[in-house]
Amino acid sequence: MATDFWASSHYKRWIIDRATLRQARTDDLQYVEDPEYLEFFSIFFANVIAKLGKKLNLRQRVIASATVFFRRFYLKNSYCETDPFIVIAACCYVAAKAEESPIHIKNMVAETRLFFSQPPYSVKSFPSDNSKLAEMEFYLVDDLECDLTIFHPYRTLLSLCKTESSSDLQAEAGEVAAGIDDGLRYWGSGDGQLELPDGALQLAWSIINDTYRSNLCVVYPPHLLAITALYLTLVLHSPTREMLQSHSSSAAQQVQSQLTEHQTSPRRSSRQASHASNTGKKSAQDFIGFFADLNVSMPLIATIAQEIISLYTLWDRYKEDCPPDNTARTSFQGQATQAGSPFSSTTHASRSGSLSGAGTPVTVAPEVPGDTQRYGGTGVVTPVILMQILARMRENRLSDLSHPASGRPVAVNKMLERTQAAG
Amino acid sequence: MHGEEWSHTILQTDPMRLYRAKRDQARRTVTSKYIILGFISSGTYGRVYKAQSVEPEGQIYAIKKFKPDKEGDVVTYTGISQSAIREIALNKEIVHENIVALKEVILEDKSIYMVFEFAEHDFLQVIHHHSQTLRIQIPSQFLKSLIYQLLNGLVYLHSTHILHRDLKPANILITASGVVKIGDLGLARLVHQPLQPLFAGDKVVVTIWYRAPELLMGAKHYNKAVDCWAVGCVIAELASLRPIFKGEEAKLDSKKNVPFQRDQLLKIFEVLGTPEEKDWPGVRDMPEYQNMKRLDPYQNRLSEWCQSRIRSQQGYELLRQLFAYDPDKRLTAKEALMHKWFQEDPRPTWNVFHYVAANQLPPQRRITQDEAPSMMGVPAHTAQTQAQTQTQIAQAHAHAQAQHLSQQSQANLSQQSKPGSAASFGSGSVGPGQGGYSGSQGSQTRKKARIS
Repeated sequence: MATDFWASSHYKRWIIDRATLRQARTDDLQYVEDPEYLEFFSIFFANVIAKLGKKLNLRQRVIASATVFFRRFYLKNSYCETDPFIVIAACCYVAAKAEESPIHIKNMVAETRLFFSQPPYSVKSFPSDNSKLAEMEFYLVDDLECDLTIFHPYRTLLSLCKTESSSDLQAEAGEVAAGIDDGLRYWGSGDGQLELPDGALQLAWSIINDTYRSNLCVVYPPHLLAITALYLTLVLHSPTREMLQSHSSSAAQQVQSQLTEHQTSPRRSSRQASHASNTGKKSAQDFIGFFADLNVSMPLIATIAQEIISLYTLWDRYKEDCPPDNTARTSFQGQATQAGSPFSSTTHASRSGSLSGAGTPVTVAPEVPGDTQRYGGTGVVTPVILMQILARMRENRLSDLSHPASGRPVAVNKMLERTQAAG
Repeated sequence: MHGEEWSHTILQTDPMRLYRAKRDQARRTVTSKYIILGFISSGTYGRVYKAQSVEPEGQIYAIKKFKPDKEGDVVTYTGISQSAIREIALNKEIVHENIVALKEVILEDKSIYMVFEFAEHDFLQVIHHHSQTLRIQIPSQFLKSLIYQLLNGLVYLHSTHILHRDLKPANILITASGVVKIGDLGLARLVHQPLQPLFAGDKVVVTIWYRAPELLMGAKHYNKAVDCWAVGCVIAELASLRPIFKGEEAKLDSKKNVPFQRDQLLKIFEVLGTPEEKDWPGVRDMPEYQNMKRLDPYQNRLSEWCQSRIRSQQGYELLRQLFAYDPDKRLTAKEALMHKWFQEDPRPTWNVFHYVAANQLPPQRRITQDEAPSMMGVPAHTAQTQAQTQTQIAQAHAHAQAQHLSQQSQANLSQQSKPGSAASFGSGSVGPGQGGYSGSQGSQTRKKARIS
């Protein structure tokens, strides 16, 4: 059912676990000096897609689908054996068609070739021949196993929030919908919508945009990403937070305490959630009750929030001359200056909560600040550096293939070192 | 170093060479998985072949091969067509008894092959069989069963926000075991909040005889009601064995403007009368309204039309409501499925052929041989393949025959335990929120993707 997430190819075949994700990078790890660069690749290439999308006048949803296609492609392939730039072009080309707003291949090739030839990419090898892009499209669709219908968090976000003047956002949110006609959400109980102050919805929207800079979109179902974005918005968006705090005496703390409560006994969380909603006072803006009624695992939401925050931490060290717009990074940075920490104290509390929480198998992402310290964390990474690293990886891979007997024991040793260091 | 020069050249000239080599090696070809039995039909999209799986069960399939792109005589990549992308993307997401199931898609050597379940018959063939060979009307129980299952499939499509946009007898198939299967989603698309208005994508949809009046009147916005109009046309065609509104299509002019479909509208008005504002308030706002006003006025004579053809007051009512001019007043697929016509005798049956006498069954789908060996466009092994194919065909025919019979008797058995009442019939669409997802365990039960 094209609009039933639970029956979709997205849910059935393309929500994967961390182990699969790691396995997908096996070959790349042999050729990259520092595994962390692969995380930066995730940010870098998502930005390339977003910027190319802007150049081509693609809608946000098309860009998002293209990014998911790109992530899925690299679940099966290695950076060191492919040219990510032609893959990106093909992802955008297919996504535009899959979202029913096709671009002519001629324009696609011309625009893309020009854009990639400029710094910081300076890719001169992008073929001018239309058939080369079409060929890549063909192989891409094959690798995607022809699963071209993608669900995005935007729609869930809108189904959770009251929107009056955001028909633009609504159109963006997509035709792949959560049975909105039936007045139901696709993961279960809960109804009603949050009414948010100006800017809050936009912030949540931007956080969702940012999740595409990581592998979150292939690890978690979109509705969980939307709920997490909303949760982070409540904490980060100052007017919203103030409203929340003035509303019920200490709503934020209650959210926190509920989170912690859930984390200690995750198995019973849904029962507790319904319990909480029954006993908790139901004001017009009962945020706690609202989240409880969503009937999703709050510890899992906290874990995802964690991973999003780790993404921003990593992203802080990534510098681009003209970073793409529509991101929520500044909000996080604003918080950082206010609270003197990369994230607000509230979020921090939830983080330590989830760290100490027992028995959540998907604990904190592997690239939390611990890693950053291990690799001397403060180095700034730029697109130019990443382009050089990519070029080296690909050259080394090729030369290994041209001398199959000799191999590259050095690189393998390096990888072993890293793995052991990472534990 | 020599090796580094070599790798540098590759990175510059054909950076994806390694990747392609790897993929090409891993790919299983169409001919390694299927034996092509013969050629079924062709269209603008490409050709359809009958094929048998090489697996032990030897299932029969219909393989749709999209026309390869050509530049002169050389087959090249020019980009997958929008309609192929659509058909693939939608078919991958939908599963329903009354929709032709997609088994797999094979991308090989610049061509796309969609492997569908095979259906022995289609509505058009049933119509021809009755009009040319049997020279009798389609028995009402048979007709009702066909329509009921068609609607059942359409309710599902519409519940997933998919418009078919090309319903017509040739696209509605029937399996040998008597199950109706809606096919050809090449024009279908999702309509839930599209990024662009539907009109912007495809200026002309639905074969002219089955095209709804709002489309003929130039409406920019249309909805599921266009499919319901087409169902009305299909019912009428099954009942009378000829298209009810058989108009001449006015062709697109050189600037690709859509012309006024005068003849088709007249054919509709002759039966349903000229639309009046009280029935269809929106008609005044239609782009072709002024053109329409210049046509001669007609009275509605649908009731008269139905007398000898439908022979049931409820049947007439169903048709009348499906032929409502105002798309908002037209019966929805769901309402049509619940219509009283299906609750009065004779009731629809699970196996549409249940009460059809053996000697009145429509013939098997004709396949031809001349096209078959050329499917892959590889002349090298032709002779060998052909010989192999010929022997396989004989076996396959025998096999298909046996299968046909066994399915038939099985279906008959199940029929006895399950009277063909509407209530015991397929339960329509699948509601949302099925599967009782428990959010708190999402992290534990998350499935691992099939990564090959």
